[in-house]
This record gives sequence, structure tokens and C-alpha cells, in this order.
Amino acid sequence: MSERKAILENVFRHEYGKIIAVLVNRFGASNLEKIEDAVQDALVKAMQVWAFKEVPENPTAWLIKVAYNKIIDAFRKEAKVVMNDFETTDDLIDEPTTLSLKEHISDSQLKMIFACCHPSLSVEYQLVLSLKLIGGFGNREIAKVLLKKEATVAKSFTRARAKLKEEIKTLDIPIEIGLQSRLFVVMRVIYLLFSEGYAPHSGELIVRKDVCYEAIRLALLLQENKYCKHQNLDALIALMCFHVARFDARIDHKEQLVDLAHQDRSKYNQELINIGIFHLGSSGAIDRQPSNYYLQAMVSYYHCIAKTFEETEWGTILELYDLQLQQQYSPIVQLNRIVPYLQVHGAHKALKEIKVFEKSPHFIKNTLYHAIKAEILTDLGRLEDAKIALNNAIERCANPLQEKHLLGKLHVLTS
Amino acid sequence: MSNFLFLFRGGNSDWLEDSPEEMQKHMQKWGAWMGGLREKGQLVDGLPLAKEGKVVEKAGEVITDGPFAEGAEIVGGYLIVSADDLAEAVAISKGCPIFEHEGNVEVREILSMNI
Repeated sequence: MSERKAILENVFRHEYGKIIAVLVNRFGASNLEKIEDAVQDALVKAMQVWAFKEVPENPTAWLIKVAYNKIIDAFRKEAKVVMNDFETTDDLIDEPTTLSLKEHISDSQLKMIFACCHPSLSVEYQLVLSLKLIGGFGNREIAKVLLKKEATVAKSFTRARAKLKEEIKTLDIPIEIGLQSRLFVVMRVIYLLFSEGYAPHSGELIVRKDVCYEAIRLALLLQENKYCKHQNLDALIALMCFHVARFDARIDHKEQLVDLAHQDRSKYNQELINIGIFHLGSSGAIDRQPSNYYLQAMVSYYHCIAKTFEETEWGTILELYDLQLQQQYSPIVQLNRIVPYLQVHGAHKALKEIKVFEKSPHFIKNTLYHAIKAEILTDLGRLEDAKIALNNAIERCANPLQEKHLLGKLHVLTS
Repeated sequence: MSNFLFLFRGGNSDWLEDSPEEMQKHMQKWGAWMGGLREKGQLVDGLPLAKEGKVVEKAGEVITDGPFAEGAEIVGGYLIVSADDLAEAVAISKGCPIFEHEGNVEVREILSMNI
């Protein structure tokens, strides 16, 4: 299955997000629980009926109708809403309409994204709301991605939803104003979502990959809207495509992590690399100060196109890291910079460079710091010291997949 | 060969909380199972049934929600399956995804006028 298709797969999950958005747009965020129940019921009915018959020609319209009727029923039971306003779904589904259903959905989902990424919500709430209400992920799946207990996620979602309802009475913000002022927040949430999905954790690879795809899907959805066009967004899309393109090469058939030097580059997904290159072109940062997303995308791009580890343009990558640090200092970026630095300047200089971190209590606890140090020491032939560094790295490693990888390296050094 | 009625009932209600993804997977299993029966020419007919229903007794004097409302029905519905005998029909029913959620299948032979 092609990666592009994979982004479009998971019909139920995506339908869930779509229909939630359309109905919240219609009935308001104050009815969110009712809407969630109705959409869940609609999916249950779909599961029953579609299993016996063919999936209808327009599954979205089918699901909207069913969910819509369920909500109307729920209102009738409460008998407190004037029904006339909501009596029919015709204007949503049937032709002719001012907006086609597809446009109506992407418009609603866009509003929903901006609502879930409302600046008054904490990052945790933004992530949980986005995954659940837009991505259609279940609590169990979210728990796997955020490495939390299912019950914790459920509680967090309940609180986040209450806050959302409190803050956002209606999704009907003037789209131009709302979108432009909040676009950067939304992009950051998408970036975080992607990062959560990208960090390798054993066992839940499929879910994590899905989260990455979801982040890309949301970014593409934004990108389609004229008010959201921004070169940083193109850079973000490029960055995500380049990363996901290497997904399959990062994990081997034994579910083991493969480091950059040993990846089978024929497994890099050319289709995604091309999509990335296309967006990188649109992110044109020639005469402007390049965004952080752009610089990161460029690093990833050079990794994607390198024929081998040795033939990688390490010099350029190092410069890109330096630019990132100039724009905004980040200790993690500085640490990662050592990797291309080692390739460009050799192990002796790299060892001096990494010494800076020794005094920082933060980095003494960091697995990556010790792992990079071990790499440098191995290059210098100081195998005993390298082993100590590797052991330090393993001791501090919280990620089983990475731990296994480091143990493998230690094994090579010992034998 | 005879036709058999498969009546699907019951199931624990955990699945009502399933994520859209899990529901889709479950639905696809039903689709695959029924598709398999169709390919082998064993599937005669079948339709889904709504969860709600009534049991009418004593010419309408007693109307209840019926004995079938045990738990939440997964894929409530019926199939008509063609098989050599009851034993084969039962064997066919064993592949049904309803068992994933502790539901059950009632298998009954449909009597034919042909002797």
C-alpha cells in the first residue's frame, strides 16, 4: 500500500472526526457529549449494516444523517430545544447547496482544529482533544501514544472537553481573523503530535505511525485553505514527509531500531520524499529568515537524498544546525549537532566539543549524550571508555527499543 | 443440502466503547467472513436487524421487549446459509467474529417443502 493511500485509510477514524466537526459546527460545542454519543452510535449502526451490505456510495453522508437523527432524537427526549432550527440535514447533504459536502467538512474540520488548539488550552489538552475529536483516536490508542494509562487519558479528555466548552461557545469565528492569528499555535500542535508519533517506542509502532500520518493529514488540510497558506506550513509538511519517508528503514524485520549508518536506503519512500521536496520548494526561504521547520526539513532532506551514510553532505547539515542555534538556542539541538560535527571534523575535535555538556546536570542524565559520547570514543579506539559511556546511556534509557539497540552496540564492543 | 438460519445475538457491551479504528477492524472481519461464505456459495441471504424489538404473547395481551435483549448485540442480524447438515452448519458458524465479544449464534435448519 502506498504511503499516500495510508494517509487516506482508516475510514471510520477519519469519518468520526469529520462528522464530529460538522455536527459541532451545527449544534455548537455545548452539545459536544451528545454529538460524540451520536457519532459513536452512527458508527455502531454502520458496523452492523455495512457488514451485511455494501458500504454506501457516500459513507460520510450516510453517517451524518444517522448521527444527525440520533441527536434530534436526544433533543426531543429532553424537549427543550426548538426543533425547527435543526429539523433537516438537507442543507448539509443534498444538492444543490451553497457549499458542497466536501467543502463543508473541511471548513468544519478546520474550525475544529483551531478550537482544539485554542491558546487557552494546555498543550496536553490540545493534543488529547486533537487526537480524539479530529483524529478519531480512542482513549486506548491515545494512551499508547502519550505513554499514559487509559484511565488517565479518559480523565484528561473529560477535563479538556469541559475547558473547551467553557472557552469556545461557538466555532463560528470569522475564519480569516481566527485562522491567521492562531496558525502558529496550530502548527506547533501538529509538530508536537508528529513528534509524539515519531519517537520510537516498542510494540505500538502501528499506532505511532498513524499519529504521524494524522499530523500530516491535518497539515495538508490547513494547507488547502487560502487563509492558512504560509511558507512555514509548507516547511512543516516537508519536514514530516522526509521523516516518515525513512520510517520503514528505521525499524528492521526483527522490530529492532536501525541507526542512520546502517539503514537500507532503498527502503526510503520516494513518493513521500517527492511530496516533501514539492513543499520544500513552496516554503521558499531564500530571501527571508528561514523558519526552524525549514532548517529541520533541510537536514532531513539531506539525509533522505544521501546515497550512503558516508556520502551524506555532513558539512551542509552542520551549517544548518549552526543556523538553527543562531536563531534560537536549544541544548538538544546543540547536542544533536555533534553528530554531523563528528563526521566533518573527526573524533578528536568532537570529543572536545561534547565536553561542554559534562558540566550540565541535565545532560549527565541524557541517554543521547552518553550514546553520542560512546560513538566518539569508539572512533578514537578508546573502547573501554566507550563501554562505560554506553553503560551510562543504557542505565538512563527509558525506551525499550532504544535500550535494545544500545545493548547491541555494547555487545559488539565487548566481543 | 439444506438451508440454515443463523441468528446473531448478545455480546458483552465493552465493544460499545471501542474506538472507531477497532470498530472498523471488527466490521472488516464480518465482511471477510461473509465474503468467504459467499465465495464458497454457502451464503443464501442475510440482513442486519435493529436492536429494538418486541415479543408479542397472548394475542397482544403481553408485549415485552423480549428475551433477546441480553447484553448489547454486536452485529444483530440473520444469515441464511446452505450446508449439508446441521453439523456442517455449526462448523461454518464457528468462524463468526461475534464470538470475539461473547455473542452467540443460533443455528436452525429451515424446513423445506420438498421431500
